[in-house]
Amino acid sequence: MNKFVDRPRFSCALGGALFTLRALTRAIPIIHASAGCGYNLYTAGNAGAGYLGGGYCGGTGWSSSNVVEREVVFGGSDRLSEQIRSTLELIDGDLFVVVTGCMVEMIGDDIGSVLDEFANEDVPVIAVSTPSFKGNSCDGYDMLLGGLFSDYVRRDAEKRTDTVNLLGLVPGQDAFYKGNLTEIRRLLERLGLRVNTFFGEGETLENLKNASEASLNIVLSDVYGVGAAGVFEKTHGTPYISLPLPVGAVQTSQFLREAADALNLPRDAVERVIKDEEARYYDYLERIADIYNDVDLQRYAVVVGDLNYAPAVSRFVADELGWLPRLAVVTDDLDEGEIRRVEKRFTGWESDVSPLVRFDTDTSSVRRYLQEAWRPGNNERYYDSLSPLFLIGSVFERDLAASLGVPLLTVSFPVTNRIVLNQSYAGYKGGLGLTSDLLSTLIAGR
Amino acid sequence: MNYIGLNSPPVREERLGTGIAFGGTTCELRCAQKEGCINRANRAFSQTQGCQFTLSLGMLNSLRNAVTIMHGPIGCGACSIGSVGTSQTFKRLRDPNAEGLVWLNTNLNETDVIAGGENKLREAIRYADREFRPEVICVPISCVPSLIGDDVDSVLAEMQKETAATLIPIHCAGFKTKAMATAYDDVYHGVLRHLVEKPDRREDLVPDDLRDLRQKYQDSRTVNLLNVGSMSRQDETELERLLKAIDLNVRWLPCYSDAEDFRQALSSALNVSICGTHDDYFIEHLKTLYGIPFVIDVMPIGRRNTARWLLQIAEHFDLQDRAQQVIDVEDRELDAAFEQFRPALKDKRVFLGGGEIRVVATAEILQDLGMKVIGFKGHHYDRFAEPLFDSLEDVDDVLFDVATQQPFEQINLVRRLKPDLYIGHTGGGNLSAKQGLPLLPLFGPTYNYMGYSGAFDVARRIRRVLANGQFNKKIAQHCPLPYRASWYEKDPFHYIKDRQEPRGPAPHPAGD
Repeated sequence: MNKFVDRPRFSCALGGALFTLRALTRAIPIIHASAGCGYNLYTAGNAGAGYLGGGYCGGTGWSSSNVVEREVVFGGSDRLSEQIRSTLELIDGDLFVVVTGCMVEMIGDDIGSVLDEFANEDVPVIAVSTPSFKGNSCDGYDMLLGGLFSDYVRRDAEKRTDTVNLLGLVPGQDAFYKGNLTEIRRLLERLGLRVNTFFGEGETLENLKNASEASLNIVLSDVYGVGAAGVFEKTHGTPYISLPLPVGAVQTSQFLREAADALNLPRDAVERVIKDEEARYYDYLERIADIYNDVDLQRYAVVVGDLNYAPAVSRFVADELGWLPRLAVVTDDLDEGEIRRVEKRFTGWESDVSPLVRFDTDTSSVRRYLQEAWRPGNNERYYDSLSPLFLIGSVFERDLAASLGVPLLTVSFPVTNRIVLNQSYAGYKGGLGLTSDLLSTLIAGR
Repeated sequence: MNYIGLNSPPVREERLGTGIAFGGTTCELRCAQKEGCINRANRAFSQTQGCQFTLSLGMLNSLRNAVTIMHGPIGCGACSIGSVGTSQTFKRLRDPNAEGLVWLNTNLNETDVIAGGENKLREAIRYADREFRPEVICVPISCVPSLIGDDVDSVLAEMQKETAATLIPIHCAGFKTKAMATAYDDVYHGVLRHLVEKPDRREDLVPDDLRDLRQKYQDSRTVNLLNVGSMSRQDETELERLLKAIDLNVRWLPCYSDAEDFRQALSSALNVSICGTHDDYFIEHLKTLYGIPFVIDVMPIGRRNTARWLLQIAEHFDLQDRAQQVIDVEDRELDAAFEQFRPALKDKRVFLGGGEIRVVATAEILQDLGMKVIGFKGHHYDRFAEPLFDSLEDVDDVLFDVATQQPFEQINLVRRLKPDLYIGHTGGGNLSAKQGLPLLPLFGPTYNYMGYSGAFDVARRIRRVLANGQFNKKIAQHCPLPYRASWYEKDPFHYIKDRQEPRGPAPHPAGD
């Protein structure tokens, strides 16, 4: 979509790249851009991702060439060279990645020849082009990973049939990326697989470097990570499948079956894992069979979120909580093909419920679609209102929720009203977590 | 001063000789500033910092009944996400019905970089005007449209014919300057050109001499107090209390104001700055263009600074005696209140980092409590911090690092100086915490720092954070800093380059 955006729920390519690097242990970004880019993007990503913070060397600690008018006029190569040299002197890291902002891309600095000076350093120094005018933060994730897959991942690795990589959750854009990756990895490991997520608990750059051992890339998204998976396939010959982010038992069991099929794993082993996981899951869910039915915890729902969360959460509340999602707004900037892929995720649900689905980047649009999804009252005496309603979205939905007088749970970026640590909304654990968060809101006054 | 005919103000490196890189003693810095030789130095290693675009948003995003249109690629102004909740809360402290923070981004892409972004800007303005019906639409212009030469002033002038909102261009491209405080000039420039109006713009249908006389009297006792985005409502209440005690009326500008507040700006007898770094451009222009006098001197943090600030205002109205009476009472009470903190805080060593005005002003409270100020780090340096040194004792040999953020220098300095407490600007907590020190934020829009009540609040908060520093201590035990050991052996100012040597005292011996 080539237009302005009313309160964008993403930042730019440089922002996506920086938070992807933030999530990689001991990978050090060197920003070649105007002085304010890094700090601006940190402020957005920190708060938006439930206070992810600057981590090891980020936030105001990010190395940045801070180009000014002089470099814009005379070129920024000398300044970049100086900044790389001083960064290597100062900062203890295992991989240094130059990421670029708009100004240096517009003046056309020859970054390749600057990098040649550092070819013989003890640690690798690579560069990825990430100007803001070429994409948003989700694109930045793809650009950055594409660059790492081409220039950092080993080319000589032997494929291992038991190894897969997970892609598709954008660190900092998905506030729960680490919890989500950890849960999906746990489940795939139960199938006997070795799993690289690159950003998960305990992972290091070795996981990334050896990622070419994988015989399959699983992209947990219809869009994010697909570009990078394409680069991976071209460079390292590993194919990929794109499966939606699974939230709760229904979707996770389906995910495990599809992933196992793609890897030709024996079906009965997979079914055993699923049966065991579902038993544990329902052991917990059984607890709330009382309160759910005692006080009628069914709700209508409006879900606003990115293309990973909006379908997954809508389907979860429909297929598992027995709720009635009436409107889902997908807030990404997508092309026609991408829209069709995401639309499919709203069909074929076990509950046979189907919300009105709209694709729109503008925050103000949600209210308009609500009028479309449910006939507004006309002050008639007997009006069947969209009530009781629960709004699941981002912090941008707070005003809407307040004006409707309904509860809000923030799940999708930006999530500035929560502290997110190891929580997950993916997998079986994520389904329980989401149920707990949603229903706790409803019984908070008890 | 009169730059009002220009599209944009000059950058502060040129206008004020502002410097962003210096390391030495306070005495050396002040001397170098006086000789005008601090504005060319730079760094061979630098870290990301604020830019004039993002700092402009500190003011623009606080305006009530206004929409901001970030004219640039999609990432510009994304930092607004960080203040989406707080901005609404703070606006509602001024007006309970205030809307939340609304902004658009013109989302310039690769095609626009070649073809120009003016059409997207027109669409965004139309949408903002119809969808939100704001009084004001501010358009901060980022690096990309500045470089490709979008003529935003003409677009806005032309669009003004079809919008209900007043359109204000803000020229604040980040790459133009490293002195990010130029942002304040950029915003005031737009405000001066588009919002400030002569008070006689409204004609009364029925003349009423008595009412006019009353109004004139009111205006003659009204001061514009120029607040800053880092202030709290509590700070405002405290300063208002002091001025009301000497019978003056207060109008707050520019933060959290609406268009009408600016339109009324000329109906006052005096403009009073709270932060020298913030306001000189605005009040100098109001003097040149409309003849309104101003006070720009110290920041009212710490009781000496507060007293001096109050007396200067009082002097303008010939109310010094009353002001002195207020000050005497306040002093006595604060003295008594400070007693409970002195034993715990005496001789504790403190390093301060952040805005140069605030760090020097806040040091007064510390000395007042018997604490020792052992180092400063200021975002930049120019003449506006000078008056604040009058309230301090024995700081000539205290180190002063001029650095906008640049936490690597701070980390080195703190490791050398070993303070008991670090008082710092927001951002960089992930690094500062790893030195295991207790931290107090240098400012906070939910806490009181200014005036007498602010001094008391800072004192009790310092005692509180010193009472248990476990959080940072545990972080430091488990999370390493990213700097190589060799960095701590180097001079903290090793990476400062292109220094100009002052002609006066010998340069700092620790320099490389």
